[in-house]
Amino acid sequence: AAALCPCGAVLARLGGPLRALCGSVRGLAAGTQTHFGFQTVTEEERRKKINQVFESVAKKYDVMNDSMTLGVHRVWKDILVHKMNPSPGTLLLDVAGGTGDIAFRFINYVRSARERQLQKKLRNHQNLSWQEISESYQEEQFKPLGDSQVVVCDINKEMLKVGKQKAQYLGYSEGLSWVLGNAEELPFDDDKFDVYTIAFGIRNVTRIDLALQEAYRVLKPGGRFLCLEFSHVSNPVISRLYDLYSFQVIPVLGEVIAGDWKSYQYLVESIRRFPPQEELKAMIEDAGFYKVDYQNLNLGIVAIHSGFKL
Amino acid sequence: AAARGLRLAGWRLWRGRAALQCQLYPPQRALQTSAVLRRVFNEQKKEPLTSSQHQFSSHPTNHQPEQEHQVHRPSYTGQGGQESEDYESEEQLQHRILTAALEFVPEHGWTAEAIAEGAKTLGLSVAAAGMFHSDGSDLILHFVSECNTKLSELLEQEHKLVQLGEAEKKPTDQFLKDAVEARLRMLIPYIEKWPQALSILLLPRNIPSSLNLLTSMIDDIWQYAGDQSTDFNWYTRRAVLTGIYNTTELVMLQDSSPDFEETWRFLENRVADAMSMGNAADQVRSTGEAVVQGLMGAAVTVSN
Repeated sequence: AAALCPCGAVLARLGGPLRALCGSVRGLAAGTQTHFGFQTVTEEERRKKINQVFESVAKKYDVMNDSMTLGVHRVWKDILVHKMNPSPGTLLLDVAGGTGDIAFRFINYVRSARERQLQKKLRNHQNLSWQEISESYQEEQFKPLGDSQVVVCDINKEMLKVGKQKAQYLGYSEGLSWVLGNAEELPFDDDKFDVYTIAFGIRNVTRIDLALQEAYRVLKPGGRFLCLEFSHVSNPVISRLYDLYSFQVIPVLGEVIAGDWKSYQYLVESIRRFPPQEELKAMIEDAGFYKVDYQNLNLGIVAIHSGFKL
Repeated sequence: AAARGLRLAGWRLWRGRAALQCQLYPPQRALQTSAVLRRVFNEQKKEPLTSSQHQFSSHPTNHQPEQEHQVHRPSYTGQGGQESEDYESEEQLQHRILTAALEFVPEHGWTAEAIAEGAKTLGLSVAAAGMFHSDGSDLILHFVSECNTKLSELLEQEHKLVQLGEAEKKPTDQFLKDAVEARLRMLIPYIEKWPQALSILLLPRNIPSSLNLLTSMIDDIWQYAGDQSTDFNWYTRRAVLTGIYNTTELVMLQDSSPDFEETWRFLENRVADAMSMGNAADQVRSTGEAVVQGLMGAAVTVSN
């Protein structure tokens, strides 16, 4: 397993051009060439391989996230939901949201926003009759989320299973639904959702442009696209330390904790292959979004891209 | 040791691959940019009336947006604002959302909720409120700048009437009083939530913009009052009027008299104070000069 890491990268690097030569002939039949980490594969193969990766990591996904990022991923996800600032009544589509991290944070945020809303209403109407007071309490009971809903969509059944179990364990039942679907071809109607989020998922999509177009399609006019993803670090010092950590520590952690070196090797390589901030911004603009902007977290290790369907 | 050497080699080769990637990306980028340009070009072909700059210009002039709204009202099909988006810039849409949000301020205060409600009335999703800062400062600044524009128009109209000879030119103190009263009356519909707005405007993040708006408004008033000073008076006049405006605003916030009579009386007194202070300053100066001359004379007498 130890030999697999850089040797694998070296061999893949040498094998790549050769494979590309033969592949370019076969490519016309088997599908266009794309990347899987540092390897070159066809799109079909890539989808299959990514499916396998997530099937094998699903059960240890949360544990690995915590150990790889030393728990900082929770802060990143909190910042994403804070940036979204959802009001009660918002419809969220969380794509590639497998284990439900964003969905649960959204529900918490909306619940407290709803409580504040009801309190403000009570304060404004000081002369309430007993009838009105009891009605407001009922409202609080029956609509604690104020009609907000979140749909968690993921392409991988295992990830959804883990998410559902987590929801049951943590006690989230209302306003939550789980759908199996492909980001490149969402099983939803046009103009449905207020917000579309994809946290650490767009890296695994084979055709990012298709996913962005689908995002544009299912969003209501005025809807918001939010993407949280690993991105490019421009500071050279931090970049070296980050590379050191990524290539030396993370696959080892993967082997020790999840018993799966290759998946975490893929993770780290896929981060390097992902387009940097400005390029992703251009791709989002091409899909038709306006006011596209990004915010770097941790000097560019992670970036939040935001765009509006106007 | 061999493993380490291999690892280093792998690392360097990976670096080389990164360089290759940079070469691969530019050709794709060119295709993407031309897709965007084509969209803008199409809009320009559809829009013979508008200038080529307006689509993504960040500072449309005051006249263009009004023209836009008049020319393109018929083409707004109401499909969630999407049709009209091809014809107006993002800034204009934001302007419309904030204007629509103002009617929800008495209920929700100067917050992102008011902006979300405003977006809903335009047929947009509530998530469109995410375009603005979450503390509601964009809404307040928009309102203040709208009020200032209205005040400028009002003063311009009065000025024209005076020039045409249809109205008498007001004395300075009357002019200032009327201008400040007109501007403060625009706050009346929102007076309950105005303290919240003032506190948000005083946040360090917002001070540059709010100060900018305040000073330009005061400058406007003095311009129309006919101030043409080029000496230090320019600063003292503006500072005095800013003081009058701010204190009157604060008085207005806690005034419960019918139609804010107390506030206007306070304003009148302050303006009168300012005028007499100007006279007093002149008197002090002439007294001072006289005293100095007297002293000089005494010194000459004594030395003789």
